[in-house]
Amino acid sequence: MPDTLAHPVRFGSNAGQPVTRRDGIAKVTGTATFTADNSPENLLHAVYVPATIARGRVTHLDVAAAEAHPGVTMVMTPGNRPALQGDPSAKPTMFSFRIEVLQDDSVRYAGQPIALVLGETLEAATEGARLLNPRYAAEPARTRIDDDEAAPVEPGGFGRPAGVEHGDVAAGHAAATKAIDVTYETSAQYHNAMETHAVVAQWEGDKLSLDVPSQALLMSCAGYAYFFGIPAENVTIRAPYLGGGFGSKAIPTGPQVLAILAAKETGRPVKLMLTRQQMFGPVGHRGATRQRLRLGIDDGAALTVIDHEGLAATSSFDDFVEPAANASQGLYAAGALRSAHRAVRLDVGTPGPMRAPGEASGSAALECAMDEMAEAAGIDPLEFRLRNYAETEPGTGKPYSSKALRECYMQGAERFGWSGRPLLPRQMKDENGLLTGWGMGTALFPCPMFAADARATLRSDGSALVETSAIDMGQGAWTALAQIAADSLGLPLDMVEFRAGHSSLPDGGVAGGSGHTATAGGALHAAGGDVIRQLGEIAAADPESPLHGAGNAAFSARDGRLYVDGDDSRSDSFADILARAGSAELVGNGSASRAPEDAEKFSMHSHGAVFAEVKVDPDLCQVRVTRMVGAFAAGRIINPKLAESQLLGGMIWGISFALHEEAKHDPRTGRIVNADFAGYHVPVNADVTGLEVLTVHEDDPYVNALGIKGVGEIGIVGSVGAIANAIWHATGHRIRRFPIRIEDLLTA
Amino acid sequence: MSYLTPKSTEEALALLGQAGADVLAGGTDFFPSRGTRPQTRSILDLGQIDSLRGIEKTARGWRIGAMTTWSQIQRADLPPAFDALKRAAREVGSVQIQNRGTIAGNLCNASPAADGVPPLLALNAEVEIGSPGATRRVALSDFVTGVRRVALSPGELVLAVHVPSLPDDAVSHFLKLGSRRYLVISIAMTAAVLELDGPRIATARVAVGACSPVAQRLPGLEAALVGLTAAEVAALPVVPETHLAPLAPIADVRGSAAYRMRAVADLCRRTVIAAMTGGTTDE
Ligand SMILES: Cc1cc2nc3c(=O)[nH]c(=O)nc-3n(C[C@H](O)[C@H](O)[C@H](O)COP(=O)(O)OP(=O)(O)OC[C@H]3O[C@@H](n4cnc5c(N)ncnc54)[C@H](O)[C@@H]3O)c2cc1C
Repeated sequence: MPDTLAHPVRFGSNAGQPVTRRDGIAKVTGTATFTADNSPENLLHAVYVPATIARGRVTHLDVAAAEAHPGVTMVMTPGNRPALQGDPSAKPTMFSFRIEVLQDDSVRYAGQPIALVLGETLEAATEGARLLNPRYAAEPARTRIDDDEAAPVEPGGFGRPAGVEHGDVAAGHAAATKAIDVTYETSAQYHNAMETHAVVAQWEGDKLSLDVPSQALLMSCAGYAYFFGIPAENVTIRAPYLGGGFGSKAIPTGPQVLAILAAKETGRPVKLMLTRQQMFGPVGHRGATRQRLRLGIDDGAALTVIDHEGLAATSSFDDFVEPAANASQGLYAAGALRSAHRAVRLDVGTPGPMRAPGEASGSAALECAMDEMAEAAGIDPLEFRLRNYAETEPGTGKPYSSKALRECYMQGAERFGWSGRPLLPRQMKDENGLLTGWGMGTALFPCPMFAADARATLRSDGSALVETSAIDMGQGAWTALAQIAADSLGLPLDMVEFRAGHSSLPDGGVAGGSGHTATAGGALHAAGGDVIRQLGEIAAADPESPLHGAGNAAFSARDGRLYVDGDDSRSDSFADILARAGSAELVGNGSASRAPEDAEKFSMHSHGAVFAEVKVDPDLCQVRVTRMVGAFAAGRIINPKLAESQLLGGMIWGISFALHEEAKHDPRTGRIVNADFAGYHVPVNADVTGLEVLTVHEDDPYVNALGIKGVGEIGIVGSVGAIANAIWHATGHRIRRFPIRIEDLLTA
Repeated sequence: MSYLTPKSTEEALALLGQAGADVLAGGTDFFPSRGTRPQTRSILDLGQIDSLRGIEKTARGWRIGAMTTWSQIQRADLPPAFDALKRAAREVGSVQIQNRGTIAGNLCNASPAADGVPPLLALNAEVEIGSPGATRRVALSDFVTGVRRVALSPGELVLAVHVPSLPDDAVSHFLKLGSRRYLVISIAMTAAVLELDGPRIATARVAVGACSPVAQRLPGLEAALVGLTAAEVAALPVVPETHLAPLAPIADVRGSAAYRMRAVADLCRRTVIAAMTGGTTDE
């Protein structure tokens, strides 16, 4: 994969290299410490009791039995729970949800904590929790999306999507000479990162130290501080490694707050780690949706209207609504465009952002609808998308900061071998008689920037320390961000010590929204630039420096030396400049965010095109994804190896979404019946064959200083639709419910 | 509780008689089924009894020690009649599970979806059961009596699985249907062991799992297959429902009853054809 900026890049040549993950050896040898690996002296273990009904009240807990169990030190229930200083239903930060912290005896979803037990050992606490043996007054659980119960969503606040309306939607419907009206459903999915949620909490006076996997360190400090009535500065979080997050680890959760409260109450460190089964409840999920799409075209197959209505499941007590219909806002040029959301309140845990929130579910429906529209028009689905290619942002007319989607279509189609695809379904069979189909989908993902700060310290020996509270949840921040930092300083990677994952460092912002490399990287880039600028000033003013008197000439830094731009004969080493100035070190600061004017001027998105081949057994209806090609234009690629891995991971999630993932509720109790990896399926390696990623060159001078757009989430988008469309092409059946199950194909 | 590690079958049976312990083989069913409940009874770990491991040829067939793992079965030098069992062995969980999980554990756990049962039913396997001072043999079809129920009395242990001699040219095959390619609980699985007379089936034994509380042989289908060539089997329209009468699939999260019935009809035919043609259909 090519680096997308011409060499030499601004300050050196680290970025753009496929550097192997720097934390890889620590992880595979087990020396990388994740939250629950930390066991301070005098530790207590916390285990909470998850509700086994979805709605009602807890009427009895056998506290005496639990307390009598040897090793149990405390049983916390709504009856004796010490006070919190913050309101569990308040939302102190942007990333806050209403949480369940034993504020009363009500049960609002299965899996909600209804008691917490502390023990000298994990076993004692586990057994104590079991002995509580809750009894309930249960009410009927509402776990299915029901249109009759749906209410419109008021926009505003985190997780309350706005809709848009551009052009005359009624006229768009009226003008259509062909139209479709289809409804797609997506299932509830649970993040299930390899590392389950955990916390190790220790108090010293009113200072709180936390080991906790967090995708937003400083914001989490403020979030936790709120509940305990202390300033955010009093909270320190260590999170050097996360075993995955996918959006579920940005938000403080009830069980974690309870463990911190228990540590405060007992004056001892407390550790809590969720079991796999407990991941299905209080830590967020991708809410189920039902989406209606009405598309119309004119005689030239130009879209007259995209009318996308999303209905999403949310909890009975909070407001996160999967913004699925938003996926239709920025993609295709349509005469009129409408996206709107409604929500249904169910007795489930509050859904939240899960890798590509909105886009993943919305694109699944939109890309299938586009395929159905192309079928109705009688033209190739790729050709149909090209005819409706948006040269400017639909509705607003804003220019794109860059958009190489056309190249993605072309390169992806070429690599996949799309041409010659039969228009009609059920035309292709392989040598074993398996029905074979090809489908495609477009990928779109916004390029947000959060705010971040960083510090770079050049040391007298010419090496540097760079610091920001960035998060590595497996995506490779330890590597890619260090590459950016090294470049900004003109140093080889091994001369740069990179510190991240600790809240005492300059605020690295949020690892989410596919914006972390751009944001934290931007701050590091600026901090390094600040050092180089200061170094240039010192050298230019130093009569003994070969750079003396270079005045306003620009300097560039390479391999630990400062050069006059365009004149390689004049240079000076970092170490010499510092030594002559008598400085032990030189500190530079940087920050990054997006200027509101820039955000207004341009539509900023990553794009991609995904092509999929499936084979379907004509008798058993078993589906295998045999080949996928994803071509993505995502601005500058800092580390091709890590970027490919992110994009592949996204595409694999596409397989998972299309064919496997679904949390199933027992209609009687509201419990999730498949709350573990035996029942909640994701693809295994054997299901993932023949995946290929292309990155398409894209220079974006507007998106941010580094031209980075982000690759964390876009891989899912487009992939789900591509697979479903390939299944239609193989079988002739449109299955409008995800995941697509073999028996749906059998009965279709 | 205590953790007992007998070194011989006799010692194990003696301990079991005294202590009333829970029997532990590879532990791959034992531990997950415990959930968060504490283990209060003693555990009798069969892992150190060497005589329970391995496969040997006997005068009347083959003896597979109770503690033989699925990995060992895959690697054993066995005639083609065991191909079905070997294929099943490769489909039990993952490699890690196959390295731990044992044949007796699979049978005693008596899951309707136990992958080892259909091939062993099709091999007419018998279970050797030991109690202090005695052993008895029970046909596998009589040993597994229901969901998680087997014909073992307190104090008894499974010592081995016996497979009666078969003609050297008997063939077999096993197919497993799951909702993903690997590491999956079966929606249905089928095993066939065939004795051939030239290109024609002389005797057929076909068994189906995960479509009834206990895996079932299909005698009607077995009789109907006699005399057919692979091409004739392939040309059969569908397996008539009467042949599938022993099955009573349930609908669960893995598949509906109707899907299971339809899929099984097809799987049976494919399994038989693959056994005859040495096919490598990988589903
Ligand atoms: C992740 C995972 C995936 C799995 N996938 C599959 C699969 O795809 N297909 C499948 O069929 N199974 C699967 N299993 C189940 C299991 O691995 C197998 O059934 C295995 O063969 C059990 O053997 P074991 O030695 O581990 O039995 P254990 O767990 O040790 O014992 C199982 C039961 O049998 C009893 N027992 C064992 N040996 C004897 C004996 N000699 N005498 C009397 N009683 C005895 C035990 O007391 C216990 O009740 C899976 C398990 C896991 C954890």
